Amino acid sequence: MDMQRIWILLGKEARLGATNFMGIYVLVMPVIISLLIALVFGDLLAQTPRLGVFDAGGNERFLQPLIDHPSMNTTVYNSDAALQADVTRGAAEVGLSLPVGFSEALESGSEDVEFTTYRWGEAGTRSLMLLESTLARALAEGSVGRGFEELPVSVNAEQLGSANTATWSQRLLPLILIMAIMLGGLFIPAFSLIEERQKRTLVAVTTTPTSLLDVYLSKALLGFLLSGIMSVIILLLNRAFAGQLGLLLVVIALGALMSSVIGIILGSVAKDMDTFMGIIKALGIVLYAPGILRIFPQAPEWIGRLFPTYYVMNPLLEVSQNGARFADIVVDIAVLAAIIAALLFILSRVIGHQQQQLALGG
Amino acid sequence: MTQPAISVKDLSYSYGDNLAVDGIAFDVAAGEVIGFLGPNGAGKSTVVKILTGQLTPLKGTAVLLGLDIVKERKQVQHQIGISFEDTNLYEQMSAVENLDLFAKLYKVENFDAMSLLEKVGLAGREKERVASYSKGMKQRLMVARAMVSDPKMLFLDEPTDGLDPVSTQTIHALIRGATQRGTTVFLTTHDMVEADKLSNRVAFINQGKIVALDTPARLKQRFGLRALKVEVELPHGETAIREVTLDEEQTAQAVFDLFRNERIVTVHSEEATLEDIFFDITGRGLQG
Repeated sequence: MDMQRIWILLGKEARLGATNFMGIYVLVMPVIISLLIALVFGDLLAQTPRLGVFDAGGNERFLQPLIDHPSMNTTVYNSDAALQADVTRGAAEVGLSLPVGFSEALESGSEDVEFTTYRWGEAGTRSLMLLESTLARALAEGSVGRGFEELPVSVNAEQLGSANTATWSQRLLPLILIMAIMLGGLFIPAFSLIEERQKRTLVAVTTTPTSLLDVYLSKALLGFLLSGIMSVIILLLNRAFAGQLGLLLVVIALGALMSSVIGIILGSVAKDMDTFMGIIKALGIVLYAPGILRIFPQAPEWIGRLFPTYYVMNPLLEVSQNGARFADIVVDIAVLAAIIAALLFILSRVIGHQQQQLALGG
Repeated sequence: MTQPAISVKDLSYSYGDNLAVDGIAFDVAAGEVIGFLGPNGAGKSTVVKILTGQLTPLKGTAVLLGLDIVKERKQVQHQIGISFEDTNLYEQMSAVENLDLFAKLYKVENFDAMSLLEKVGLAGREKERVASYSKGMKQRLMVARAMVSDPKMLFLDEPTDGLDPVSTQTIHALIRGATQRGTTVFLTTHDMVEADKLSNRVAFINQGKIVALDTPARLKQRFGLRALKVEVELPHGETAIREVTLDEEQTAQAVFDLFRNERIVTVHSEEATLEDIFFDITGRGLQG
């Protein structure tokens, strides 16, 4: 293995990939789909969490900081019914119905005050976290000198709209994420390898001091980088690049490694582009199944576990959306590592046979 | 005694049941041009693939520049340049980019792509994509690519096959230039004129075996029959060709009789071509 040659070949791969239709396609496609989904299902144009407030009277001091808050869109309603209607259809993600004198009672702490919150059933986790933490802070600040446990408030929480249902953006995110990981990591190395075998440039390169392993590593590295970068972009576009950053990057790296190794194996065994596309058509359902299943929340979780990409997708979503820690996803990571080890073993066998095959014109 | 640049002993290779190379042995001296002649399927390209480390021989050894091609493949490949029979350039890249890439893979310092491109007549079009080049231009670039590392040994597999005379002449000039610098050239071709012109020695390969290996002149001497072709004038102003085979016991008498009895118009000497000799030895032509 020669890092200098791998770097040179990586530069060549990037140079050729940038002008190649397939290279552009795999980079642009997940981004376009992601933007389209965000546009169609509203998230793109409503990136700021939406708070609705009905003030029955005398709560301006409590309300003003919420209206002025830069990270939320706060709408004041003139009736509780109007507030409920907008929360039900999702125009506001959280609704706050404040009774007369709520602010004054909160400040004095003289009596226990009661208020009602409405929560849209399909509100995104990030919006809810931001809105609820802002409210909690506003309550604490309004009740000077008290801790949260001493707040003289009781909350009536009501959920409106369809309960326990993920938004369409959330449902489609796993599928787009798998696309981003697989398209960049799998397609680019496989296409490049098949093209080099067919045009016999691979023979020209491997009869220099460059080894076949150097060539494979350069292609795998490009796939790995593209897959990783695309995963991060898709998570950012979907505002899901959250949770423990280090852990998230480790899972992304493992997913990118898996897809690029699959790409190299398929690129080595597929006779030509048509054969490769045939394999992809047959294999597509295996790769995308966990993402497709997530579109239907009622589908049993165990079905997804039968497919290898589940062990990339699930930990990524767990870390980014549910704030999972390493201990929470250790089983998925272990299975993913085992899958990668098995793929690397297959790859080592493939490299062993490939050199002779190249000379024979295969 | 000087170590040969190539030393091959009892080399064999088979594709399944088909024995493509059958126990061949030969040595090539440093700086020598050896022409490997044979029809398609004779085993020429298989020998090249073994000697360049693409195929592992079934049996036998091949030592190039003192290194065993099986055990020290990458060290050998560092010192050789190969021009393949089929064009295998990066067609989406320019000529300069192709040469620069390979120079970097060979870790050549201060590589000057333009001077090499000038030698192969591609200066001025060096920034165009190779995909837009003609076959001759691509072939010239292939030979130039084989030379980026200024190798000690060049393998040229059918370098002028199907090329126009200008491209052929350019490539011949490159080969001559390389040999003047002491490069050993292994040339496979089925063009006997090319082999005759360029090679110090030629090897005839047929059905995986070397059936003859010598200088073109000695092969002609050994296997070919030289002749005199004499045009004579007949009584009514017509002419006829008389042929006298040379190197035979009765040749002198036959020439004497001809010059005494006939009115001579023209005299030409004629010698056997390598193709004639190949046919005589193997019973088949080089194109077959």
